[in-house]
Amino acid sequence: MTQLLLFNITNGLIIGAFYVLMALGLSLILNLSNVINFAHGGFLVLGGYIAYTITPYVGFWGGLLIAPPLTALIGLTVERILIRPLYGRDPLYSLLLTFGLAFIIEDGTRFIWGAQGKPVTVPAFLAKPLSIDFFFITGYRLFMVAVVAVTVTLLFAFLRYTRIGVRIRAGTLDLETVSALGINVRALRSLNFAAGIFLAGLSGVLAAGQLGLEPTMGTGLLMPSFIAIIVGGVGSLTGTLLGGLLIGVASGLTAVFFPAASEAVIYVMMAVVLLIRPRGLLGEEGMMST
Amino acid sequence: MKNEQIPQKFDRRTVLKTAAAAGVMQIASPFVVPAWTADNVKMGMVDPLTGVYAAPAGNEVIGAKYAVEQINAKGGILGRQVELLVEDSANDVGTGVQKARKLIERDNVNFIIGDVNSGIAAAIAQVTAEKKVLHIVSGGHTDSITGKDCHWNVYRVCNTTRMEANSVSDLLYSKYGKKWHFITPDYAFGHTLYDACAANLKKLGGTVTGNELTPLGTTDFSAYLIKAKAANPDVLLLLVQGSDMINCLKQIVQFGLDKQIHVAGTQQELESLAGLPPEARIGIWMFEWYWKQPGVPHVAEFVAEMRKRNGGKVPTARHWFGYVSAMTFALVANQQKTLDAVKLAQALGDFELPPEVKLQPNKVYYRKGDHQLMTSAFVGEAVSKGKDDPEDLYRVDSVVPGDKTAPSVADTGCEVKWPA
Repeated sequence: MTQLLLFNITNGLIIGAFYVLMALGLSLILNLSNVINFAHGGFLVLGGYIAYTITPYVGFWGGLLIAPPLTALIGLTVERILIRPLYGRDPLYSLLLTFGLAFIIEDGTRFIWGAQGKPVTVPAFLAKPLSIDFFFITGYRLFMVAVVAVTVTLLFAFLRYTRIGVRIRAGTLDLETVSALGINVRALRSLNFAAGIFLAGLSGVLAAGQLGLEPTMGTGLLMPSFIAIIVGGVGSLTGTLLGGLLIGVASGLTAVFFPAASEAVIYVMMAVVLLIRPRGLLGEEGMMST
Repeated sequence: MKNEQIPQKFDRRTVLKTAAAAGVMQIASPFVVPAWTADNVKMGMVDPLTGVYAAPAGNEVIGAKYAVEQINAKGGILGRQVELLVEDSANDVGTGVQKARKLIERDNVNFIIGDVNSGIAAAIAQVTAEKKVLHIVSGGHTDSITGKDCHWNVYRVCNTTRMEANSVSDLLYSKYGKKWHFITPDYAFGHTLYDACAANLKKLGGTVTGNELTPLGTTDFSAYLIKAKAANPDVLLLLVQGSDMINCLKQIVQFGLDKQIHVAGTQQELESLAGLPPEARIGIWMFEWYWKQPGVPHVAEFVAEMRKRNGGKVPTARHWFGYVSAMTFALVANQQKTLDAVKLAQALGDFELPPEVKLQPNKVYYRKGDHQLMTSAFVGEAVSKGKDDPEDLYRVDSVVPGDKTAPSVADTGCEVKWPA
């Protein structure tokens, strides 16, 4: 039993790392632009399909490098055309728009690539387990964790030490003042949105190697990302990181004792956090005002 | 200064409005009702065109559409052209029932086909029985549809879960061993399939080392596979389907579990094998129909015609389900020269499918006692790459007649009650 618990905690951390990547992208967009991006799962799927399409020409590594920026470019276009006109309006507008966009992306991928799943092969040296005992730690999963770790580190460094990053952080606190200081807020928002979608695209490329690539792939991954933000704290990227890992571990542990509840447990966690500490573990007070 | 510079914060009312909007979006139908002619015979089809079963459901629709083309080319049903109206159940029981009611009450369909999802198929059967509409369950496998919950107006094309379990149990036991561990989707189909497999295993003298119930749409199976490995079974039976099958098999192979435990299952589909990387196409399974049947009459022509309608790809069992369902209505209606549901339902008892529709070597007929099509089980093994054809991903070792795998009518628990 102890071994089973340790295995599942480790497994949960690996899964949680993936949720972190998704949730950080969502959190970036939410914090600065106040947009709940229901289409985030759709952009994840787009990233996966773009990588699948270009892999025969550029290989797996080329797909990993090129697909996320291409996805970000699509995100930039969407932000410029569809979302920017809704800034300043009731947040429900952008929420409904991204909700509809999610369906459009799903049906669009189904139309272009078909409803049938696409086979995605990862490099052979990654598709092996660490050992017979630690079979669930494969080279690919370790690679995923490494990519997440590097990405998160770079993201935090970007936000802390670069001028644009500082402006993004300032904007999440007081966008009016940032604008008054002469910063181009429109460009800042666009760049921030693209960064969030880049993370979604990267998540999609990584997910395609692990899961079946099909149009509904993003749906099952979107809700845990939202919950990671709520549990960790709206407005806090560190909280989002913590939230992602926590729900991954919670889900993995629950699978040991009560498998049927392994997906429901993260919703229970969300409910408990909202009841006891509505701003989340590391969130800022007032982010969800009454 | 424009207001767009100052973002509004969310409040609880916004969240509540959002939830209400999301709820309305769930039930609003995005489909435009096509124009129809009053004289046409209408077939309604309810299938999950979105969600985890979108691929097999879409293929059933393609098969049914081809059947309608053929029917109309030969003069239709009773001299009237046939129209196929398709609705998306979205893999949700409530939506499926609503769409079935809409087809019957608003569109006045004469027949209903559907659903891939066993739970939805069973729910729709309640509606069609209430409304007295002849209904063929094309792809929902749970036993009760032609078992304890059978209806006079409901027939089924695909195998029952008992038939699936019976077709492979002996082989798996003798070839792999007696300790079986299951990965089972947590809904009607999974439960009855597991019950059938477990009952067979018990009769053979084996033991169940565990049954992992997984929610439909599970993406990560690692926690379940950790438990399966810890149980040390001889064989790991995957009862999941669609995207779940793809995810599970991919992860089993990535974890190297296939080198430690035999991997097999009951129902496998070409849609799933095609969605897997070659190294994950493993295991002993049963197919419900397979496209490569050398020497069997009419199969090659069917495959050639379906390729034209399926983007160059070969038809799968799902195409065949949709095709047979629609053709059955036409055959029996033209034979009986009526559209009366009761008369047609009675005529379908022991109705044998002609060679150009059954497309397999054995006799295929709807059994009178439980309305189940006695269709064959194509037992064999997945192959990583097709030898002569890239789509030949399965090696058929034996084609077992349906009446050899089906339990007796008495064992199904079906007692058909006809309307007065």
